[in-house]
Amino acid sequence: MTFAQRDLAVAPASVPANTGPVRIRARGLSKEFEIAGKRLTAVDRVDLDIRKGEFVSLLGPSGCGKSTVLNMIAGLIPASSGTIELDGKPLGAGHFSSKLGYVFQRDTTIPWRTVKKNVGFGLELAGVDRASRDRRVNEAIQQARLNGFENAFPGMLSGGMRQRVSLMRALVMEPDILLMDEPFGALDAHTKTDMHRLLLEIWERQHQTVIFVTHDLAEALTLSDRIILLSARPGRLKEEFVVDFKRPRDAVSLRETPEYAELFSRVWRSLGEEMSKVGA
Amino acid sequence: MMGSRATVVAAQLAIILLTLAVWQWAFDLKPYADWLVPGLLDPYFISKPSEIWTQLLRLACLTNPTGDWLLGQDGAVMACLAQNDNNLWIATLVTLTNTLWGFAIGVASGYIVGLLLGQSTFLSRVFEPFLVALNSIPRIALVPIVVMMFGIGDTSKIVTAWLLVFFLVFFNTFEGARQVDQTLVSMSRLLQAKDWQVTSKIIIPSTLTWVFASLTPAISFALIGVIVGEFIGARQGLGRIMMEAQARGQSSVMMATVIVLMTIGVILALGVKSMQTYLLRWQNTGH
Ligand SMILES: Nc1ncnc2c1ncn2[C@@H]1O[C@H](COP(=O)(O)OP(=O)(O)O)[C@@H](O)[C@H]1O
Ligand SMILES: [Mg+2]
Repeated sequence: MTFAQRDLAVAPASVPANTGPVRIRARGLSKEFEIAGKRLTAVDRVDLDIRKGEFVSLLGPSGCGKSTVLNMIAGLIPASSGTIELDGKPLGAGHFSSKLGYVFQRDTTIPWRTVKKNVGFGLELAGVDRASRDRRVNEAIQQARLNGFENAFPGMLSGGMRQRVSLMRALVMEPDILLMDEPFGALDAHTKTDMHRLLLEIWERQHQTVIFVTHDLAEALTLSDRIILLSARPGRLKEEFVVDFKRPRDAVSLRETPEYAELFSRVWRSLGEEMSKVGA
Repeated sequence: MMGSRATVVAAQLAIILLTLAVWQWAFDLKPYADWLVPGLLDPYFISKPSEIWTQLLRLACLTNPTGDWLLGQDGAVMACLAQNDNNLWIATLVTLTNTLWGFAIGVASGYIVGLLLGQSTFLSRVFEPFLVALNSIPRIALVPIVVMMFGIGDTSKIVTAWLLVFFLVFFNTFEGARQVDQTLVSMSRLLQAKDWQVTSKIIIPSTLTWVFASLTPAISFALIGVIVGEFIGARQGLGRIMMEAQARGQSSVMMATVIVLMTIGVILALGVKSMQTYLLRWQNTGH
């Protein structure tokens, strides 16, 4: 399916409790690091079931192992124990599935490539011919409102624009699972809200399966169908919250609703217990 | 305005004129004010601008030894050039060609070895002590050996230039290869990049920035290498002209050669610089 065809798909107005097939399943997922001869358990026996088309946030205090979980799923680091399956098939470290798209917190635009060539990087790697590459890249650039900056180098762009480039570089590959590690963590509040709007706009049309790592509760509530709360280190599953605000959502007006306030304070208390453990 | 472009240029012109004037006339004042004029200004050592200019025209076969123009006369320039197989033009060409070869070979080999060692922890650990030891040799000390090994022709000059350029570029590339942003590598792998694609699209471009930074010193090193090689033993080249002139005490010839060398050095450095600016244009952030 191309970008254009996907745009025609009609999204349901609201998302009922997701009963689709499980796409990512983790069982007993653990990770130990060795630092200066001492063992440190970063992630402790985490079980996850992420269903097709679900937007799930992994929420927890800094250092609780969120990135570690995500990176094990992505295949960037091996698990110490436990299993991960993608569509029922085991995933191992070092094997990167083309179904997965990944967005880093850190700026990962390639400084010597223009915006256009950054967005088209994955397509270029895959050997997609220039004509269809240009077409898909242009669509992505329009969608992210980066038009006019096609030939700019990342060094000339703001942090928010660079992160949009990274996001579109992942999305232009049409991954049906999107892994995002605090992708907007380094942005100011206003830019962040812009990014939420863009992401919601895209997701509501295409319904990728998303695992979104964040320590920002407002962000998790704005975007997700479900919030998985991890405990302070070692990261364990603490609690799960269903976020059933109707969709499509508006990143700003959502925050003024009573349901939002109610759920916010519920998750906040639970998150607060974990925060206090790390002295944050 | 003190900082305006015109003032700066005016000040620079003044410095040039003053230098030329002192160079040309100061020693003439020695009989009147001995205490004012240092002995090193003696034209016996440093010649005079007017003599250097005359000498340049003569060496270039534009005038004959008595100062008459050869340019207008049929075949006179050619006849003058034919008398000397190391005339200024041939010598410049020989020195320049050897410099460029030494530079090219040094950059290419330094880059390749730097990239290989920088990417392999095993190789870099094996070779590191050797490279550090080799790098500690003042390379110029090897020139007599190089000339003995490769003879007094072009090869020994190219090898000398190579010796100087190789290590410079090698260490830069090596450092660059170790500082490649690993997140960019992960990002590429997540986008299904194959090993060779990671190398060609991430590692090579990011090490190239380090290499470009070393190109300006590298071209100067190459020129130094060639000249020193020519001092030790050569049939042709500007260094050879210098050595002959020194043996005969012809300071004007030595100075004329230095002027030519300076011109070559400036042109080469500017060429490399503009190439570098173009290739690294993405580093210009516009902020
Ligand atoms: N490569 C590593 N080596 C050693 N310790 C690590 C490494 N990566 C993460 N850790 C540790 O594991 C814990 C969890 O890290 P991380 O998953 O990055 O947390 P989060 O993303 O939730 O902030 C932290 O205490 C961190 O210091
Ligand atoms: Mg993290």
